[in-house]
Amino acid sequence: MAILCKKFKRHLNSLAEVFDFIDRFVDQEEIDDSARRAISLAVDELFTNMVKYDPKNPNEITIELQVEDQNLLVTLIDRDVAPFDLTKKPDPYLGSSLDDRKPGGLGIFLTKKLVDDVQYHYRDRTSTITLKKKIRKKNV
Amino acid sequence: MFDIRTNENGEVVLSGRFDGAQADKAKGIFDRLTVTTSVDFKDLAYISSAGLGVLMATQKRLSEKGHKLKLKNASGHIREIFKIARFDLIFEIE
Repeated sequence: MAILCKKFKRHLNSLAEVFDFIDRFVDQEEIDDSARRAISLAVDELFTNMVKYDPKNPNEITIELQVEDQNLLVTLIDRDVAPFDLTKKPDPYLGSSLDDRKPGGLGIFLTKKLVDDVQYHYRDRTSTITLKKKIRKKNV
Repeated sequence: MFDIRTNENGEVVLSGRFDGAQADKAKGIFDRLTVTTSVDFKDLAYISSAGLGVLMATQKRLSEKGHKLKLKNASGHIREIFKIARFDLIFEIE
């Protein structure tokens, strides 16, 4: 079972490094491009939210990647934060006209749509989000 | 690497990865648009909700003056993101 773990500075400029980290793991594990795109987007959305809503928190954000039973599991760990259970956030209504649509608010919705499962745990002021995405190996 | 430029036809051309770190750079270009404008996605590999937010804010602003953005040449997976976000209801997607 392959596992890769890394801490990233809490800044949007870290996103390029986050993408490189995901790409390196995906290439190493020969994971399909569809899963790569979905996980990259989901991690981008969650990481961006963690930076945006708690910019002064000095703690780095930990991302762990692992493959288990044909699933890519991604865990984001954010320390010394208030709880925010994204799994309980209601989906936005997107059927309205342009006048009634508001920019923003799509990140968590996209994340939930693009991965197969999202779990949230909060303990000792630490948020842990785990994403699961079914994968296909490129050469199988 | 993300890039945004305006071509000789007045179209906005996007390339690379339009992620959460690029919204301000893109906003600088989109905020200057005042008329109906095509946005070419041919070389864009990726867009996140931050990018979608910039597009939607621009569309709302332009629509107040009777103008709009037209989105063209998006790849299959970016079209899928547009579909999930229901951009088909609020944008002309070529």
